[in-house]
Amino acid sequence: MKDLRGVSSEFLRSLWYKNEPVCVLCSEGDGPICPICTENYLHPELGRCLGCGKLIPIDLLQCQDCEAGKGPKQLDKVVAWGHYYGGLKEFIQNVKFNAHPNYIGQIIKPFSEWAISQLPAVDGVVAVPMHATKLGERGFNQAEVIASALHWELGLPILQGVKRIETRVSQVLLSRKERLQNLRGVFAVPNPEDYSGRSVWLVDDVTTTGATLEAVAEVLRGSGVRTIYGLCLAAGREKKLVPSSE
Amino acid sequence: MLFFLTINKNGIVSYFPHLERDKQGSDVSLLTTPLPLAVIEEIQDQLHRRKLLDMWNFGKNKNTKLEIIRLLNDICGDTLHFSWEQIQANTLSHQGRFEEEVKDEIGVRFNQIVLGRQISIRDFRGLARELKILEERVIELAHRNVVQGKAQWVPSVKQHGRGWQCQRCGQEDVEEWPSLYGTAATCRGCQSIGVSTSLDVLYRDQRLLIESPREVIFLPHWDLTEAQRLASVQVLNYIQEASEGRALLWAACGAGKTEVCFPSAAWALKQGKSVLFAAPRQDVIYDIMPRLKRDFPKYPLQVLTGESSVKFQSGGLVLATTHQVLRFWRAFDIIFMDEMDAFPYQGSKALDWGLEHALRQGGKILYLTATPSPEGLKLVKQGKMRLIQLPARHHRKPLPIPVWLKSAYSLEPNCNGCTEEVVLQIRTLRREGPVLVFVPKISWVGSWIKSLRQYFPDWKVDGSYSSDLGRAQKIKRLIRGEFDLFVSTTILERGVTLPGIQVVVLGADHSIFDERALVQMAGRVGRTQECPGGGVIYISKQISPAMKTAVRWIKDQNRRAMELGLLDQQEGRRNLERSQRSL
Repeated sequence: MKDLRGVSSEFLRSLWYKNEPVCVLCSEGDGPICPICTENYLHPELGRCLGCGKLIPIDLLQCQDCEAGKGPKQLDKVVAWGHYYGGLKEFIQNVKFNAHPNYIGQIIKPFSEWAISQLPAVDGVVAVPMHATKLGERGFNQAEVIASALHWELGLPILQGVKRIETRVSQVLLSRKERLQNLRGVFAVPNPEDYSGRSVWLVDDVTTTGATLEAVAEVLRGSGVRTIYGLCLAAGREKKLVPSSE
Repeated sequence: MLFFLTINKNGIVSYFPHLERDKQGSDVSLLTTPLPLAVIEEIQDQLHRRKLLDMWNFGKNKNTKLEIIRLLNDICGDTLHFSWEQIQANTLSHQGRFEEEVKDEIGVRFNQIVLGRQISIRDFRGLARELKILEERVIELAHRNVVQGKAQWVPSVKQHGRGWQCQRCGQEDVEEWPSLYGTAATCRGCQSIGVSTSLDVLYRDQRLLIESPREVIFLPHWDLTEAQRLASVQVLNYIQEASEGRALLWAACGAGKTEVCFPSAAWALKQGKSVLFAAPRQDVIYDIMPRLKRDFPKYPLQVLTGESSVKFQSGGLVLATTHQVLRFWRAFDIIFMDEMDAFPYQGSKALDWGLEHALRQGGKILYLTATPSPEGLKLVKQGKMRLIQLPARHHRKPLPIPVWLKSAYSLEPNCNGCTEEVVLQIRTLRREGPVLVFVPKISWVGSWIKSLRQYFPDWKVDGSYSSDLGRAQKIKRLIRGEFDLFVSTTILERGVTLPGIQVVVLGADHSIFDERALVQMAGRVGRTQECPGGGVIYISKQISPAMKTAVRWIKDQNRRAMELGLLDQQEGRRNLERSQRSL
């Protein structure tokens, strides 16, 4: 009886008041992303490096690495929603390491709206594949979860078929050059005809040097993909050009 | 962590951690894709059911293999591909190694540490770091215990009826998500001590915490008061003989309830029984720690809180926060649960479940509190829980009884609640000692500090609340007696002893103050030998039922203490007179 009363009062409350969601990143401000977190992590005032998606001053086109020709070359454009730092970093790590793939659903609306404002519509979305061993342990691939959420939100088809072949050392401790080396020959497209002449969004959770995106983009190009846009939840931020006030 | 599924010649399905793939025992078929334990158990379960249905299939290895693949496709969909591999006996150089006892130093140390524990894979990673060995080695040592029947692997979250249940905290509130292996679930109940999902496993050690009794030196550093001695005898009697599995020690605030349990703990340890002192909050743990160390010299004490740097210790006497108790499984004969009515334990099913499951079968729990919960009192009434009372403080003076001051105005900020009458009462109290003013909400703190500073320009007036960054510093100064008046939310409700303190509760009829909070706040007064008395004033527009109950509880304690002759006669009589005048 007590339970019933609880349920009914909750029901009445939901009828009378709008259930205001709180900010996904800080659990304090108004949701889904509060103005303070938008300012701290999403940086709408900053530009994105065309080559690798890194956050850069708005008047530049590329980060220093990409300018020097060290960045990815197979992608037409890369964009990252926010800075891989603080609340956004915690959110992504919580999704990956604490088994909360559902949390992607909480940010997908603002993320997909932002994505479609930055990138042209395409024939489909491709998720960066994860290696079988890691996938087996975790039970899900966060890039696929993001891709599938984008599919539901924007109606873009999911393109499958990119495979990851070998286990590699995790990218985290490697240098830029080592990262590119480390990924050579890791990805493959068994049925290239599915991709020929298409345009795609290539989706991953985080990008730092763009090496993983580049490696997948390479095999996509080889399969005849016409246009490839990289899309990530978060990326690094150009160090040297940050205003000195920080 | 994943496991490899195997079938032997007799069609028996078994499994082992993927790391140990090349070290397996006999001639078996192996499924090349490793699986979560929950999936393997599901298959074992289904096969068992089908076997019962169709005895003809029994023992036909080939059919079982097909059957397993079919079942796996049902569970996991078409995301995974499965195939079998035959492992030949001659490729196995390590045959039988899991049956052997470990003798090396690390192995022996590992086995001391894991006794009675419930350990997640993430915890094992931490253990590997502490022991400075590889994670693989830790898993191997753990699996060896499983093979030898000393421990068990269980899925961290398991299907339970139509839903799920976390095997670490017992909660059924989970988040479901589509995984590579069909629907998976993540527990929402015990996230704070690490993730728990249906793809993970827990290691449950089934051995006793104490392998053999060891010498116990019990040197109590202070004499129990008459009241404590009486309670202590009853506690020992309960621990030794009673048939009830649960008992409640209802003590007056500041009566020294923890020490009352020490003689019983000493007796139990001497018997080779394992003892846990648990409390919901770290500050209580750090308060008890030096007292246990002092009275049980040389006996190894495990102290476990979220902040302890060494998570894995050994020994049969454990002092832990209720969250850390989730890392034990049927390990303790006796549990002393301090402050059972305090956050976060009060109302947390997960922590309650953890406590129940940390207890061995036939073990006993003694709950210690100054303010029992309605559920606890109900169990006492029903005769399911024994009640032991400790009604008097060590100085043989009665508990101060709160008086009520009716306020004509609301005491909320900016409602003219700070009247001449309130100011006068506070001024009078200050003559006895520094005044601690409790308010029900954080938003009241600032404005009351402001109002009171205006009335008492020469006084040192400050205040604090949970999210105040300067909290620890201010409380230190408060304990040193540096403030005349201190405004606080319920953060100072329990656990602190402030010599000479006087208490005012503003808005005592506010719904946030239940009888327990009201008793605890009043219980800050008169705790020391030097200042055994003092005043408590509840100020509010109305008298709430909680205020009535609180005063009744305090009076009951005093009356009982009087009856037992635990109060000084004169004080007792004066107290009785006073109690007739109050609420």
